[in-house]
Amino acid sequence: MNSKASNPRDAGTPRPGKELAEQFLNFPSVPLCLCGLLVFLLSSPSALAYPEFQAFVAKSSGRTVNCAMCHANSDGPEGTGPGQIGHLNAAELERLGRARSALQPGQNVDSPILNAFGNHIIKSIGKEKFVELKVSPAHLADLLPPDSDLDQDGIPDVREYLDGTLPINHNDGNPLLLFRHNFRANLVAIALTLAATVCGVWGLGHLLHGLAAASRIKDTED
Amino acid sequence: MNLPEIIKNSEAYVAERFPVEKMSYSAMVVKKEVPVHRLSWAYYMGGLALFFFGVQMVTGLLLLFYYQPTVSDAHASVEFITDHVPGGSLVRNMHAWASSMMIAAVMVHLLTAFAMKAFAKPREITWVTGVVLLGITFGLGFTGYLLPWHQVAVNATKIGLQSVQEVGQYLPGAMAEWPRIVKETIQGEAAVGQATLSRFFALHVIILPLAMMATLGLHLLSVQLHGMSRGIDGPPKRQEKFFPTFFIKDLTVWGFAFIILFVIALCVPFESLYSYPLFEPFNPKGSTPDGIKPEWYFYFLYYPLELLPFWVILVGSTVLGAVLMGTPWIFQNTSRRTLQILAVLAALYLFVMTVFGEQIYHMFKG
Repeated sequence: MNSKASNPRDAGTPRPGKELAEQFLNFPSVPLCLCGLLVFLLSSPSALAYPEFQAFVAKSSGRTVNCAMCHANSDGPEGTGPGQIGHLNAAELERLGRARSALQPGQNVDSPILNAFGNHIIKSIGKEKFVELKVSPAHLADLLPPDSDLDQDGIPDVREYLDGTLPINHNDGNPLLLFRHNFRANLVAIALTLAATVCGVWGLGHLLHGLAAASRIKDTED
Repeated sequence: MNLPEIIKNSEAYVAERFPVEKMSYSAMVVKKEVPVHRLSWAYYMGGLALFFFGVQMVTGLLLLFYYQPTVSDAHASVEFITDHVPGGSLVRNMHAWASSMMIAAVMVHLLTAFAMKAFAKPREITWVTGVVLLGITFGLGFTGYLLPWHQVAVNATKIGLQSVQEVGQYLPGAMAEWPRIVKETIQGEAAVGQATLSRFFALHVIILPLAMMATLGLHLLSVQLHGMSRGIDGPPKRQEKFFPTFFIKDLTVWGFAFIILFVIALCVPFESLYSYPLFEPFNPKGSTPDGIKPEWYFYFLYYPLELLPFWVILVGSTVLGAVLMGTPWIFQNTSRRTLQILAVLAALYLFVMTVFGEQIYHMFKG
């Protein structure tokens, strides 16, 4: 069906319209568009997001999660919005095709419908293994690199996946873990601010004591 | 009672609340004394709320340099502040955390002032202005919530404004239209949109802060004129000078509060307390994420609203508001012991609804 739709000649174009059809196909951007359409139609069954992972994370973490954990668009890959298949140009469709052919781990993946974490998953375990994990999404955490931290917030991506937080946003994560990491990272700033505050309160206190004493002396003299 | 008598009594009432002879630096600062007793810690709560208001003013002014109050740019400008402006993340987090801390301080201040009978004659004006300040503080929280224009902000505001309109069905005659008119006036257009954002922005950065400063001025003047209330039934352990002794202690508490606020704002992004889909830019055509609810300080109202019929909450809120405003007259003959029990019960309710409100909701609604 897809091949028929992609090639009007196979669809049996009537002879009186043959010239018109050839002119149509000779128009420079038309073959490109048809190629794009072909890629889209061939790939659409596999363009569905994998809601099994989302459901697992939402249930295990108790947090609200959406497709933005792995996808470029929070409503998933299907649609015409930014980061969705219907919005991709020819070059992006080509990138999408290359990303989808990364069946084995270790290949550089740059899918336009995935975010950095989504690309990281496919690069780490390969598309084939990822699709297999649909039946046991919890095991994805065992297969991802344990030390990877894409947003550099001190919480490994694996932990963020299990916690239902966004692995590519350094402002999102388990609050206690973020506190521990940021406290260590900003220890000097905290120490300096503490010293400045203590000195400021101490100095201001002495100044006010001095003002009060001066006021008492003035009252006595009066 | 004829008119001259009414005027004479009114003059006497105002003169007693604002005694001109006490309006001097000497009476209001130098000679002022603060009782020391087991509840003295409560005297610092008002100052703490004032400190957090100051933080809100300073950080809010800094955010104004970059914030764009338009539906197309508001979210992006907040993200720009957080990710690209030097110190922007710290300033924004301080603004967000201090707003919560200010509301917590104001609530504790109100409860302790109630328990200490700090509303008794001649401090009625202090109490009433305090209740007005609480309302303005909630108003600042509600209007500020919308400004980042993310999913939870817009959807929670829609729910809040819808609740205003629903009041109409319980009002008689022409009054039934008033809540709708109020809602549309605040909203500015058929749905929450640019007009709403502009109005909330104006309310948040100009109108409510000005109202806050005016009411705060009256509140502080009243506090300084009448001094701290005795607070307990028996005699205090001793008295200490307001200036400099108590004032320096107050500054020390502010120093502690600043350090705690600074460390929390630096180390815990406010957003991390919520699920990330709630902080995505609002998209009227996109799906609405689960978990839309107001800020924590409205939970005491929000969860009962979800569990009980609307009219119960409406009657309860109206009675509560009237009781709060009329406290100096309703409880003028009530003992401090009874007031303390009532304050503890109120605090318990607020705590349980704020911390366990969601579990209670699921327990009853499944």
